[in-house]
Amino acid sequence: MTNSKPKFWKSLNQYNQKPESVEATHHEFVNGVTDEFDVNALPDKSRRKFLALLGASSALAATACSDYYDKGEIITYNKKPETITYGEANYYASTLNNGAGVLVKTREGRPIKIDGNPEHPIGKGKVSAGDQAVIMDLYDPSRLRYPIKKSDSKLVLYKDEMPRSDWEKVDTQIVGKLKEAANSGKEIAIVTHSILSPTQNKLLIDFAAKYPTAKVYSYELLNESEKISAWFDSYGSYDLPSTKWDSADIIVSFECDFLGTEGNVTEQIRQFSSRRDMDMPEKFNKLYQVEGNYSLTGAMADYRLRLTPELHYGFIMSLASEIVKKGKNAYLGSDLSVLSGYSLQQFADQNKLNKKFIDELAHDILAHSDKTLVVAGSSMPNSVHVAVNLLNEVLGSVNNVYDFSRANKTQRALSTNDELKSLVNKMKGGNVGVLIHFDSNPVFHLPSDLGYKDAYQKVPTIISLVESANESCQANQYIIPINHALESWNDFELRSGYYSLQQPVIAPIHDTRQKEAALLNWMSDNVTGYSHDLYHKYLMSNWEISVYPLSGSVADFRSFWFAALHDGVAVIKAGQTEKPAFNISALNSNPFKFAKQNYTLLLGAAYYIGDGRFANNGWLQEVPHPVTKSVWDNYAMMSPATAKELDVKFGEDKLNREADMVEVTVSGRSLKLPVLIQPGMADNFISVELGYGRTSIGDVGKDVGFDATALMSINGGITSRLYTGVSVKKAEGIHHLVTTQEHHSLDEEFVKDFHLKRHIINEYTVPFYLDFNKKYDEAKRRLKAEFAGDEVAFKKALKSEKIHLLGHHEYKNHSITPDRVYTDVKWGMAIDLNKCTACGTCVTACNVENNIPVVGKEEASKGREMHWMRIDTYFSGTPEDPVTSFQPMLCQHCDNAPCENVCPVVATTHSPDGLNQMTYNRCVGTRYCANNCPYKVRRYNFFDFRNDFADGYYRQDTLELMHNPEVTVRSRGVMEKCTFCTQRIQEARTSAAKDGRKIKGTDVKTACQEACPASAITFGDMNDPESPLSKLREHPLGYHVLETISVKPNVTYLSRLRNTVTEEKHGEH
Amino acid sequence: MKKTILDYALKVKLPVTVFVILMSFALTYFIAKPERDGVGYAPEQPIAFSHKLHAGDMAIDCQYCHTSVSKTRHASIPAASICMNCHKVARTDKPEIIKLTEYYNNNQPIPWKRIHRVPEYAYFNHAAHVTKGIDCANCHGDVRKMEVVSQVKSFTMGACLECHRNPHENMPQMTQAVNPGPTHCNACHR
Repeated sequence: MTNSKPKFWKSLNQYNQKPESVEATHHEFVNGVTDEFDVNALPDKSRRKFLALLGASSALAATACSDYYDKGEIITYNKKPETITYGEANYYASTLNNGAGVLVKTREGRPIKIDGNPEHPIGKGKVSAGDQAVIMDLYDPSRLRYPIKKSDSKLVLYKDEMPRSDWEKVDTQIVGKLKEAANSGKEIAIVTHSILSPTQNKLLIDFAAKYPTAKVYSYELLNESEKISAWFDSYGSYDLPSTKWDSADIIVSFECDFLGTEGNVTEQIRQFSSRRDMDMPEKFNKLYQVEGNYSLTGAMADYRLRLTPELHYGFIMSLASEIVKKGKNAYLGSDLSVLSGYSLQQFADQNKLNKKFIDELAHDILAHSDKTLVVAGSSMPNSVHVAVNLLNEVLGSVNNVYDFSRANKTQRALSTNDELKSLVNKMKGGNVGVLIHFDSNPVFHLPSDLGYKDAYQKVPTIISLVESANESCQANQYIIPINHALESWNDFELRSGYYSLQQPVIAPIHDTRQKEAALLNWMSDNVTGYSHDLYHKYLMSNWEISVYPLSGSVADFRSFWFAALHDGVAVIKAGQTEKPAFNISALNSNPFKFAKQNYTLLLGAAYYIGDGRFANNGWLQEVPHPVTKSVWDNYAMMSPATAKELDVKFGEDKLNREADMVEVTVSGRSLKLPVLIQPGMADNFISVELGYGRTSIGDVGKDVGFDATALMSINGGITSRLYTGVSVKKAEGIHHLVTTQEHHSLDEEFVKDFHLKRHIINEYTVPFYLDFNKKYDEAKRRLKAEFAGDEVAFKKALKSEKIHLLGHHEYKNHSITPDRVYTDVKWGMAIDLNKCTACGTCVTACNVENNIPVVGKEEASKGREMHWMRIDTYFSGTPEDPVTSFQPMLCQHCDNAPCENVCPVVATTHSPDGLNQMTYNRCVGTRYCANNCPYKVRRYNFFDFRNDFADGYYRQDTLELMHNPEVTVRSRGVMEKCTFCTQRIQEARTSAAKDGRKIKGTDVKTACQEACPASAITFGDMNDPESPLSKLREHPLGYHVLETISVKPNVTYLSRLRNTVTEEKHGEH
Repeated sequence: MKKTILDYALKVKLPVTVFVILMSFALTYFIAKPERDGVGYAPEQPIAFSHKLHAGDMAIDCQYCHTSVSKTRHASIPAASICMNCHKVARTDKPEIIKLTEYYNNNQPIPWKRIHRVPEYAYFNHAAHVTKGIDCANCHGDVRKMEVVSQVKSFTMGACLECHRNPHENMPQMTQAVNPGPTHCNACHR
């Protein structure tokens, strides 16, 4: 073993040893972060202060006059529903509006947590971070509460000034307008997002039958239409087959962020990570990522090549020609003369590509040709997707990596650009009588050069069916409030034959209606006879006609329906579909014709807020971006070299938050954005995330970030989200960008001596580990014979042998206190870094479960984000081509917890089951514990964030319903941290006691564990030698972070194995 | 040395004053403790429901009304519908039953005054106690004899811990053996 330690760094500042950044690791917060705070600068008459005074004085008055004994009232049910037991949760299977199958936990009728539905064949019990946080949208105070009809359309709408109308009036008027439009031959245009529901689709058809001039337009900002049209060109079908990510030995991804933002991410993470089982190292898949952007998938890749997207087409074709040249061609169709102009060698030389990458890739795809999956991202054009299809054909892997029996279902194709243009023309020409925004926001989403914003104001009647007012509502006359997904009925069919049901888990909180029911009502002859189960009945009758006969069920329809409702899903037997023949002429008809000019711009998908529809969700705005760790913003991401060329700086001020502005111009359309310098980006390449910059939305999401749709064109560049020939120049001004990357950094200087023993990050390669396993097994046999019968000595010798084989140094911990003995259950956690893809779902699940407040951008910039769990990102290698390592970090529940010794009021103590307990009501807020925590996982309530964030946002009526009643809501001046979900442990203990049995480690699942799509987190009893947790703690790859400081942490990390050749080892040793 | 008024004030008056103040604080603290803890609180209820009549004289089991006491953390105050199981026919002419029927028919909850309360950061679990065979009376007193229910025991952390540490001393009537209850923070606070 050579002693070549790679240096780990968290940011360019740390890489360059910026003094403030190094200094910051020694402390809990960056020095000087609160220097600007001046109490005199606060306005002395703020609304909040006034309210606080008012509250305090009235409370004083109330106590003086009332009976101090008084403990209030207990309000009981008048007639208690039989299914509800006070204090016990009910679970309902349902589906969210994106088709994700969920299990909703409700308490006394209030939904409080969303998790995956284990019965659902796609999600298999897991949902994404965005889905977890949807619960906040249900209680969002900015939701509309009643129908609105505004007489003067010139006024800008403010929430408080919305003129209230009533349903009867708007219904009657709307039906009148619809009839008028239909009779006069004017179009009724319905603009919607993509339709995922078969019954909703049928409803729109029925609506068009009732009002013959109705026409449906559907659009999606982040669509897959290039991929789908390429599939159609190649195979003559619009139904993309589902991908079997777990069947691929080699995955080659071109600008496709399948672990982050594209496709069904939770399913993809699960399937990808299932091939990262450290107990089957020989089965590891290998991920090659070729990209210009630095995506989460790129960060997870074994090999990554920075390559600007203009070159991807040539690269794919060269790879195909290399396969053919090596005689491995599996495509038996007509001649492959299209490949004649390409050669991998030549391509690599021409573009100066990393030789090692090319050789490794060519070698691997030749060796595993029929198990290689090549994919391209949805921002790539049709021609690249056709080339990918050809490459998969040539490799002969199509049948192995795609599942044709469960194709992705297209209920209704998205409108083409020409259709959208014709809609705009018709609106301009006065040929549209009624425009219905069916839960959509086209003004914000559609490219500005389409002219939708100007044209739609010419439509005499505009009806917006929305949850809360959006950009498309501003000039509207009718704003119809609709139900949230958790208040609605619907069905979804994402894959053919998987019918997933949505059922309401709470009655509508406000005076709202389901959007489908509103349409049905306008179709009926009795407009005033609306009832809430209109769509429910419609859905049931549609299922009776169209789904039930397919099921082949022997039960009657009602039993079938209730079974489907109970399970949340009805699975119809898959039809066997053969792979259609590949049509090679698709390649000739649409060649790639873009060359790199100037800068390239990628308009990427945001990781958490979707296309902007979740922008008002504070939880999602505050989950750090998985790659850049930024919160509450978007920006122009670029490489260090590009930033140098443009002479722009980022984070070089004392507090790491000042970013220079740049002006990005795409054929005349320009936008000013702050700069974020990200190691690993391709040079002369800019990426900006869409969905930010909402202007008409609730208080939380308003004016957060910059609206990058301003750069989009309806005619597209390379595609609607990829442009070349973009000009970028430095602009005036500075913007504060907040990234949490350098917050709570572990103290590298303090632990530098420990590097000799173990890193914070430990990584090995698969070949190294295979070799290690052989030697380790041999050592086991040898030592077993040597220490025959003496188990203790054998274990000790084996451990020392293991440390030696892994290339670490042995050390001895000296403790001055005797170790405490845990006789009963002792809780511990293990996190498998092989499986973890840093998706952030655990962080969100923890936020929801434990009532963690949103603190807002200003407080987050001071390092005061309250997340109990964070995902640390470490880079190694060079800033140009970094290697990324992730590490979820939470309270380690140390046996010798340093926080416990320093608490002057004994508010943090150790429990007999090994938990480091935090008792809020005892805490006086000295913050000594956080100061003494080597992992920096303790969070202090500098404010009552429920009052402080966004002017008392949390105190608004509905959000109070969202809290988990089993967890204390912490207030100002209290320290908090991960509790290992102690409320779940207590619940399991009580139910075990009730059943008269002892609690088992597997009885408890923490919120993060339950949510993890990769199943990377294991929780359980370490005193039970048979528990899955104990096995992981004993695993040769298991290690503890900072174990040499003898705090005895109880979270075990399993070292990541990189599937690279041994010479290129990262972080091992 | 001449004695001044200052000396007198410092040596006699001050200690006496301090002593008197401390004593009055101490006395008030101990004498008023039960009252501070809420012992003796017997508010007037919206309906003059008599536990003595129902639980005592008619010997209706506690769990007939407090349905979830052995299932969850809450004992649960019964919904009006539970009362109406009997009172749809029983004693419908009495003024209190007329009040009850009114609540029930108007679909209104009965605003019962709360008597026993632990702070919201303490998570007391009824089921964990009741399923161990601990009698309700240990905390709530002999409700069967109460015309108007009042709090008889202190509901402070000290009171909880006292019993958790020495269950048999505090519940001498318990025949089966009980282990001491947990005393770590997370048992009640989370």
